[in-house]
Order: sequence, then structure tokens, then C-alpha cells
Amino acid sequence: MNLEKVVFGFFVVLAATLNFGFFIGDIDNPELHNPYELFAAVVVNLIATVLKFGDRTQIGAVHLATSLVADLQLIGATLMFGYATYVSTAGMNEAWTASVVSLSGGALLANVVSVVLLVVETVSFHRG
Amino acid sequence: MGNPLLVFWKNIFGEDDDRPRVRRATFRVAAHSAAQASATIFLILRRMRAPLIVLIVIFSVSVLGLTLIPGQDADGNPYRMGFFDAFYVMSYTATTIGFGEIPFAFTYNQRMWVTISIYLSVIGWAYAIGSLLSLLQDRAFRSALALQHFSRKVSRLREPFMLIAGYGRTGELLGHSFDALGRRFVVLDRNSERIDGLELDSYHADVPGLAADARDPGHLAVAGLGHSSCEAVVALTDDEEANLAIVMAAALLRPDLPVIARVTSRTIAERMQAFGSPATVNPFDRFGDHLRLALRAPASYQLMTWLESGPGAALPERGLPPRSGRWIVCGYGRLGQELTRDLRAEGLDVTVIEDHPADVGDADLLVGDGSDPWVLAQADLDRAVGLVAGTDNDTTNLSLVAAARRSNPELFLAARQNSAASAPLFAAMEVDALLVPTELVAHEVYAQLSTPLLWRFLREMPAMGDDWAAAIVDRLKGLCGTHLQTLWKVRLTAQEAPALGSWLGSGEARLGQLLRNPEDRDDPLHALVLIVMRGREVTLAPDDDFVLEPGDELLLAGWSAARRALDTILLVHGVLEYLVTGRRVPSSWIWRKVSSSGSR
Repeated sequence: MNLEKVVFGFFVVLAATLNFGFFIGDIDNPELHNPYELFAAVVVNLIATVLKFGDRTQIGAVHLATSLVADLQLIGATLMFGYATYVSTAGMNEAWTASVVSLSGGALLANVVSVVLLVVETVSFHRG
Repeated sequence: MGNPLLVFWKNIFGEDDDRPRVRRATFRVAAHSAAQASATIFLILRRMRAPLIVLIVIFSVSVLGLTLIPGQDADGNPYRMGFFDAFYVMSYTATTIGFGEIPFAFTYNQRMWVTISIYLSVIGWAYAIGSLLSLLQDRAFRSALALQHFSRKVSRLREPFMLIAGYGRTGELLGHSFDALGRRFVVLDRNSERIDGLELDSYHADVPGLAADARDPGHLAVAGLGHSSCEAVVALTDDEEANLAIVMAAALLRPDLPVIARVTSRTIAERMQAFGSPATVNPFDRFGDHLRLALRAPASYQLMTWLESGPGAALPERGLPPRSGRWIVCGYGRLGQELTRDLRAEGLDVTVIEDHPADVGDADLLVGDGSDPWVLAQADLDRAVGLVAGTDNDTTNLSLVAAARRSNPELFLAARQNSAASAPLFAAMEVDALLVPTELVAHEVYAQLSTPLLWRFLREMPAMGDDWAAAIVDRLKGLCGTHLQTLWKVRLTAQEAPALGSWLGSGEARLGQLLRNPEDRDDPLHALVLIVMRGREVTLAPDDDFVLEPGDELLLAGWSAARRALDTILLVHGVLEYLVTGRRVPSSWIWRKVSSSGSR
């Protein structure tokens, strides 16, 4: 067992699960989407991205690309969340919640691709 | 070829059968080397993982803590910081900007947490910045960056350039000469100090340099061996094997390129000949040839040194080396062996002085240290005619020359200067023939690459005999005076000599008709044609009846005014007709029309 692979797999999967946890629930109901979960998703996604630095294989490059997409979407979501809470006069209403959650949904898709890549890599490793 | 599209197709499909294969091989080698460079950068990225993750974790823990710890607003009501406030506070705290406690004054709980976060984040930043700086200092990283930078510079070169492998003293001399000519070059050397020195050398053009082993074909390829603008490869390293490896790589990857290599042993020179036909320059062999020429044909030697020194050089004195008698050769190394062989071939007696017993063929051998006065006395200097101080130690050579001159002022003295630092000493010594191996190689390579015609002339000239050379020296002296004026090349093609037109192909084009003053045809042009090259054939110093043909290349010596006059003849229509027939032809369009209708 390779500790590096464990850590890598752990963060990739955790990023996807946290993202999923935030995303699930009615899209326009702010009560069902915990900001702490979004925060955790952003942090874990950033760590997963850094872990993917410096891999020269083709699959490593796609890994890094999916992570960057997820980061972009999640940071976009947090920016909207912050704007809705602190700047917008309407506050965290249904429309804002829907935007934030849909952005995180996009990130979830990227994270799912990442997990699929991880599985593909593992399976092909066993075959080889 | 006027249609750009046709040119394009021709470039793609119209190449010779073996050319694409050659180019592809070079590209593959280059790509391999470039991939090595990017591999290092990936490794560096990998090493930044840990510091970045530590930083992210510290930051997120601090922010999370701030949002979880209960605070109070101005009225004492319980209040929790939002994520944005917490992130804002942590950002300016961690970067030591410190705007204070917002949105409300902190409780003691929060202050304790912020204190911990401050220390944590300082550690995080210090770790990250420290790793980044140590990476920038990292040798592997720097050399990878240098390689990338270098290959980008080389691939962007659009002018023809030379690849100089080995940038020692010779390379430096050669580089400065080529830079003065406005030619570009790329430098490879194993020693990084020499490459750093490139930036201190005041070159006009930017000279890309890489500290890498030139024996690696990958490095040669990165340095532009596969580049379409590369016009020559020069191998000047002080390692014979390395020079051989460079010649091999160039011959196998780019057989079409001219290669010039410095060698000091005959075996290596012969091994090089197996790869195409590289030009080899052996300084000791060449010095021996020069000495032989000086002995046999003083005028030829005088002409050669004068032309080799380039424009502006004063006419060297015609030496009178002894043609018979006994020579003493001190030091039986590579130079000593060459010279002994050359002198013996001239039928001269030779006494060799050498520390260790050696097989000197049919020459006399005196075992001992040449700088020892007693040994030198044994060599019977008084009855010798010449002495060669050819050891690889400058101090020994200087003291040999001094001692020899004191005991016999009539001796012909030849010395070898090994280091550039002792140049003033040897100059003050005023020896009759001085060998500076680095300069000799640089001169030779320069002559071969910059003015191939002159080089050809110098190679062919000794065969014409001493009297012929003396006549040429007299003619040159009559034209230029005691200082050599301009040397220039003229190619009689439609592009460079459009005014000659059909006259050239008529079979009546005599050289004497062309070299006339365009103002007054009775006056000859103050220039001398040294050599005419037609295809691979050459004619040395052709006379006035020589018949010119289209495509001939001429090397001329003379005043720059003569050069301008010749340019006028070659470029301006009508001048030639005056020179040939004596009739003035109007050069403007209107007058030509008027005069042609008048004559009709």
C-alpha cells in the first residue's frame, strides 16, 4: 500500500463528497445548504488541486484540469454567497441560493469526472 | 518561384528524398532534450506541494475557527462572524498588514484564537516562501530554466548562424571576429563560467549560450544543429574525443553542413575523416607547414602572412630563414614531433632536447632539461642555425629563447606561446616565428568560414612557387603601398552584376576590359584579382586576357575607391559599354530614347 496514493484518493473523494453534500437539497432553499460545508468543499478542493501538481502523465493532466474547473466553480459560488450575504439588499433569497447551488453543481460534475478518472486509473493499474 | 503558394508546396513536397529523414532525426533528438528540461520543472512543481498544502490548511483552520468562536457586537449581543469577515481578517492578519478588529471589537476568546492563527500563518508563509526561494536557487531548476530559455532563443533565430562547440580562448577570438562581421553564432561549453562570461564580453548581437556537454547530440540539437538557418558547426573543445563526437553527430544528423574541427593528433584527424569530410585544423601541423613554407619560399610565406592578417596590416618583412644547417628542437611533444618531421623532410639536421628518452626517428636526441644551461651548451648552439622552443611551459620557452639568443645572436628562433597572459613577454622577445595555438586555430577557422575564397587562395598559393609570390607581393605593394587595403569578393551573377548582362556570356569578356576606370578607360582600376573560382576550379592571379564567364567568383585586393568603381561598373547600365567600346552611353531613360531614335 502506498501512503501517497491513499492521501491522494482520500482528498479526491472527499472533495467530491463534500461538494455533493452541499449540492443536495432543494435548489432554492437556503436552509438546506450549509455554508460550512461549502467552505470545507473549497478547502478540500484546493488541497486536491495542489496534490495533482507535477504529474506528467496524460491522465494526470486531465486530473489537474478537472480540479481547476471545480476550484473555479466553487470559488465562484463562494463569491456569490458572500455578495448575497454582505452586499445585496435582498440577502440570501431563493434566487441567490439557486445560483450558488447551481454553481456548486457544476463543480460537482467536475469532481465526479475526477473520481471516475481515479477509478479508471486504479482499474487499469490492476490490469497492467 | 514568384508565386508564394508554389514556393510553399515546393518547400513541403519538393525536398530531396533523404532530407526529411535527416531533419526528423534531429528534431527527435532535440525534443528528447527539451522533454528532459520540462521533466525538471515538473519535479519542482511536485516539491511545492507540501508547502502549499500546509498554507491552505493553516489558512482554512484559522478562518473556520474565527467563524465558530462566539463574539459580541457593540451592544453586547452574541454575534458570530461570517465567512467573508473571517477570511478578510485572516488575510490581512496573515500578511502582517493588520487593519484591526472588525466588524466589532473582539472578545478575549477571539483574540486568543487570532494570536494562535498569527503564529501559525507566519510559520506557513515562512515555509512556503523559503521553499520557493530554495527552489529558485536549486541547480537542477536553474539549469532547466537556462536550457528552456536557450532553446527558445535558438529556435527564434531567423538569420544564418554558426554553432560553436567549445568556447575557450579560441572560441572567444573567433566569436569576436564573427561578431565584427555581423554574423550570428550560438555557443556550447561545458564550463558554466565561460558561458557566464558571454554576457560580460561586449558582443553587438545577442549570443545564446548554454553550459552543457557538447558530446551529447541532444544538446547540439537544442543549440540549433537541426535548425534550418544553421550554416556551420565548429568544434573547438580542448578534448579530442569531444571534438570527434561533435563531428560524428553533425555528420550523421546534418550531412549537408560544413564542419570544422580542431585536432592535435593525426589519429583523431583520420577518425574524423570517416564521417563525411570535415575540415580539420591542427595548429601544430599548420605551424610546421608555415615554417616549412618560410624556409623554402620566403616570399610565399610573406604573402600568406600579409593576406592572413587582414585589411590594414603592414607588409611583413621577408624573413631569411637558414636553408641549411642544424636545427635544435626543445620539447618533443606534439609540436616537437611535427616540426622534427617537417624539418627532416626539408633535408635539415635536427637535434631534439627532451626530458625523457623518446623515439625521434633519424634525428639526434639529447636527453635533459632544455632550460638547463649545461644541457643547452651540449647542444652546440654556436654551430646551429635555428632553435624551436616548443615545450608546453611558457617560462621554459622564454628562458630557452633568451639563453639561445645570448649564446648565438644569429639563430632563427621559433617559440610556442601557451597562455594568453604571456603574450606581451613573447612580443617583447621578438622571436622570428611565434606559434600561438589558440590564435592559429581561430585564424584558420575564420578564414575558412568568412572568406572561403581567400582561404582557397592561401591553400593553392604555395604551389605556384616563390618567384610568382614575390611578383604578386610587388604588384600588391605597387597598388596598396605598404599597408593592405580592402579585400572583397564579387560574384558575376545576374543579381550582383546585372549591368554585365550578355557581355559575360559572349566568350569575349576579358578581365582586362572590366578592370578599367569608369571615368577614363585608359586608366586601369587600382585593384588586383587574386583568384577566380568557377565551380570547383580556381585560377590564381589571372592576367588581363582571362575570359570571364557568368557565375565566376572573384576575390580582389585594392583601394576601396576601386571597389566603389567596380560596383558602378557592375550595377550601372552603360558604363560597361564605355569601357569596352569607348562610346559614352546615356544612362537616363529619356536620353536613351532620344539617342536611339537619333541613331536610327
